[in-house]
Amino acid sequence: MPPTSPDQEWKKGSAELLVLSLLEDQPRHGYDISKMIQLRSQGFLRFHVTSLYPLLYKLEERGWIEGHWVEKPEQRRRRYYALTQEGRKVLRAQRKSWREFVTAMGRVTGVEHA
Amino acid sequence: MPDWKRIIRERMARLNLEGAAEADRIEEFAGHLEDRYRELLSAGADEPRAYRETIAELEDLYPLRQSTAALPRASERAVAGEQRGGTWLYDLGRDIRFAARGMRKSPLFVLFVVLTLALGIGANATVFTVINTLLLNPLPVPKASSLIAVAQQRARDRSQARTALPLSYPDFVDIQTKNTVFASLAGYSSAQVLTFQEHGDSERLFCELVTGNYFATLGLNPARGRFFLPEEDGVPGEHPVAVINYGTWQSRFGGDPQIIGKGIRINGLVFHVIGVAPPRFIGINAIFGPDLWIPAAMMEQLFPNQLQGALHDRNKTIFLGAGRLKTGISVAQAQANLSALAADLAREYPGTNEGRGVMVLPVRDILFGNSMQTTSGVMMASAGLLAVVAIVLLIACSNVANLLLARAAGRQQEIAVRLALGASRVRLVRQLLTESVILGLLSGAAGLAVAVGGLRLLFSSLPSSSNFITPKLDLTVFAFALLVSIATGLLFGTIPALKASRTDVADSLKEESRSVGRSRAKVNIAKVLLVAQVAFSFLLLVIAALFLRSIGHAYAMDPGFQTAHLDVFMTTPGQAGYNETRAKAYFKEARERIERLPGVAALAWSSNLPLWARPMSGIEVAGREKRSRADQLSAIVNTIEPDFFDASGTRLISGRAFYESDQKNTLPVAIVNEKFARDFWPNGDAIGKRIQLPGEKMERQIVGIARNASYTNWAEPPQLCVYVPFEQHYVDTMTLWVRTRGNPEPLVPSVLGQLHTAGPQVFVDVRTGKQIIQGGLFQARVGVGLLSVFGFLALGLASIGLYGILAYSVAQRRREIGLRMALGAGQSSVLRLVLAQGMRLVATGVVIGLVAALLIGRALSRMLYGVGGSDPLSILGAAALLLLISLAACYLPARRASRVDPLIALHEG
Repeated sequence: MPPTSPDQEWKKGSAELLVLSLLEDQPRHGYDISKMIQLRSQGFLRFHVTSLYPLLYKLEERGWIEGHWVEKPEQRRRRYYALTQEGRKVLRAQRKSWREFVTAMGRVTGVEHA
Repeated sequence: MPDWKRIIRERMARLNLEGAAEADRIEEFAGHLEDRYRELLSAGADEPRAYRETIAELEDLYPLRQSTAALPRASERAVAGEQRGGTWLYDLGRDIRFAARGMRKSPLFVLFVVLTLALGIGANATVFTVINTLLLNPLPVPKASSLIAVAQQRARDRSQARTALPLSYPDFVDIQTKNTVFASLAGYSSAQVLTFQEHGDSERLFCELVTGNYFATLGLNPARGRFFLPEEDGVPGEHPVAVINYGTWQSRFGGDPQIIGKGIRINGLVFHVIGVAPPRFIGINAIFGPDLWIPAAMMEQLFPNQLQGALHDRNKTIFLGAGRLKTGISVAQAQANLSALAADLAREYPGTNEGRGVMVLPVRDILFGNSMQTTSGVMMASAGLLAVVAIVLLIACSNVANLLLARAAGRQQEIAVRLALGASRVRLVRQLLTESVILGLLSGAAGLAVAVGGLRLLFSSLPSSSNFITPKLDLTVFAFALLVSIATGLLFGTIPALKASRTDVADSLKEESRSVGRSRAKVNIAKVLLVAQVAFSFLLLVIAALFLRSIGHAYAMDPGFQTAHLDVFMTTPGQAGYNETRAKAYFKEARERIERLPGVAALAWSSNLPLWARPMSGIEVAGREKRSRADQLSAIVNTIEPDFFDASGTRLISGRAFYESDQKNTLPVAIVNEKFARDFWPNGDAIGKRIQLPGEKMERQIVGIARNASYTNWAEPPQLCVYVPFEQHYVDTMTLWVRTRGNPEPLVPSVLGQLHTAGPQVFVDVRTGKQIIQGGLFQARVGVGLLSVFGFLALGLASIGLYGILAYSVAQRRREIGLRMALGAGQSSVLRLVLAQGMRLVATGVVIGLVAALLIGRALSRMLYGVGGSDPLSILGAAALLLLISLAACYLPARRASRVDPLIALHEG
């Protein structure tokens, strides 16, 4: 991914929102998160190790998500991240402002959003 | 399945987290990679491809841009909580492995750094080795610093008060036996020239006459055989034995294991070698020592002419003392004791000893000859050279620091990722410094190689001989080089490491690598370093130019004799066993044979070798009032044949030359030089006046006045000189001066052939006029050579630095330049812009360097021949050279800037 591709500009403000949204329903481990992002964006968005984990640690540091090592029989142990109470609040707020932002953009540019 | 943990540890060692936090993260990343790898495989990729794509996850160093502040570092928490003992060493090992991997990735960078620093460190190690050899431990003798020298002092002559003059043998023996302060005191003479004969050939060797306790006093053990027994320095002439220099044994006698007991023929006598001195010992001398040591009791037999009666004659002063004081005796007490002894001697032998004192001084003060000024001169020169090479190294360091700063800008994002992932700043700085120190050590190793080469070059300028000092590359030098290398690494690494680690995570992850404002600050440090480099290079260049001009003047100076068509041949027929009659016949036959050679314009025998004459004391001028009995005149005395003035080109100002008719039974005559005539007969009526040489009964009448010349040193201030005719003053060591019609060199073999025919056993040493000048200017030439090498080294390094910093700045300003050009700036105006940016720095450096050069030039002016310390030509020349080279260094980046395509440059943004 070239450093100056346009989708990076777009991702800049929204990466946190992406991760928080994915953790809303269930805890997920890092690889799961990166895969979900890739799948749901149909390959348009991709996170590498070097970009995903700094973000996860930062969110954890802020207390929005929480990581736990989980051991399952016959499997490697994995670190699962779950949304905290505060994270839920933040997600709600971010979702709201994002919606407002997209609506505003749509009005200006004439692009309808789904 | 690849070992992902290992791969991560290798690639992400730069995280430098600590303890469990690190292990957790690695496990987490490894799990991620493993999942990815499996998935790629199950999607149908082959193993290499899956591996490549998985690994790409780690290599993508352009991660998501974030807008929030940095995390507190995981390891900072760790430091607060747990600090385990083994971590430090473990981290160091990892830092080293990581640094090595980084270096393998950028071999050109490493090559540049190592080459740059190796030159700087090499120059330092070279100069330090010389200092280590000459000043720090010049005497390979146990407890050398407690050795005390004893010498004669001219108490009444203030100009010589600090000169350690030799004692006569009887004076030395009196001091040796009567003193109460020395546990052991040995005597030794200056180096004497010997003729060594083997298989009918002759060769020159040097010997020192020493007292029997010489080696015992120094505390040396022989490499082979034994040293002198007390009785071997007993009855004069009884024990023809010699101890041989280790170097001479190795080179002249091929390390012959049978050397002990071997008889060698010197000055016509057979001496038996009884021992070999330890390696590196060349007597109590810093630079040049003898091939042989011979008991003082043998001196009259060995030198029947020069040293006749020297065992008892208090006028023949050739001995210095060296000894060890009794425990508890101070140098001041020793001085008091010996001064009292000298006063006794003066009372007992007023004719010779009045006005003679004795001085006690550390042996290191006489290692460079008898004047302590020489020793302090050597120390000054060493300190000066050390300062110069330190500057060269500083320039090299600042170049590398600049390069690291530029590289740090390139690594900013990499560093930011590591910080974001939890590496602590301390760990980062430590790791960056580890890299610098490793670079420093690599450069130190290369620098030692440079030093070995430099020393070989430096010492090869000495005449090849086994009795010169050899450079001492010992542990001290290695320790010095190691210390300098580590200091170098820390010096050039600290600022860039601190700056790099201060990278703000969020900012630099967000910003583009060519962010303008941030790099400005970085460039500013670099600019200051660069201005300093230019100033220092300019200073060195000016000093080198001053000495170069000075030596040019020195070459052009008139020594008072001709050098363009001159060959001189030194002979010592007395040492080949010739008596006066036979030696005279030899001189005559040689002259007659050589006169007939085509190409010879004039020739004459003279007792003095150009620039090697030493003054003789005890000359009397008739009618001159002496202030005391000790008030003795010293002058150069040159015994010559009538044609000498023609052969040497020394002009007679008035009166006449010597005639063939000036014989033993005619009026004793002399010719004096201008200075002699002016000093004693300022009214210009010297001719007809009378003088007397020491040991002569008759006064001599002055019949001519000759021009002043240089007798002892090149371009020396005028000395008193007296010429006397050979027929009236026999000397057995004579030098043939030959004036040639053309180039003097081709004539040498045929003259040597004729000399050999006239006296096959006589050893002959040859020099041309050019070699005489070069010998006379030897120190100056070495000095200029070193200064020029270091000056150009500094200039070279500074211009590389200039080029680097401008190239970097042009790369940083591509967008700005592109914009200017898009707005209509022409290529030439961009060229001017960048050139001006570089040359402004250069001009600043030159101005600072100029001020320093003027200050230092004043201090140097005493050492310069015919050039002022602020010589405009030297300054302008250095400035022109520096400006020219820096213009070239600026031009390349400027041209690149002017060729920026505005469209491309702007699109990149």
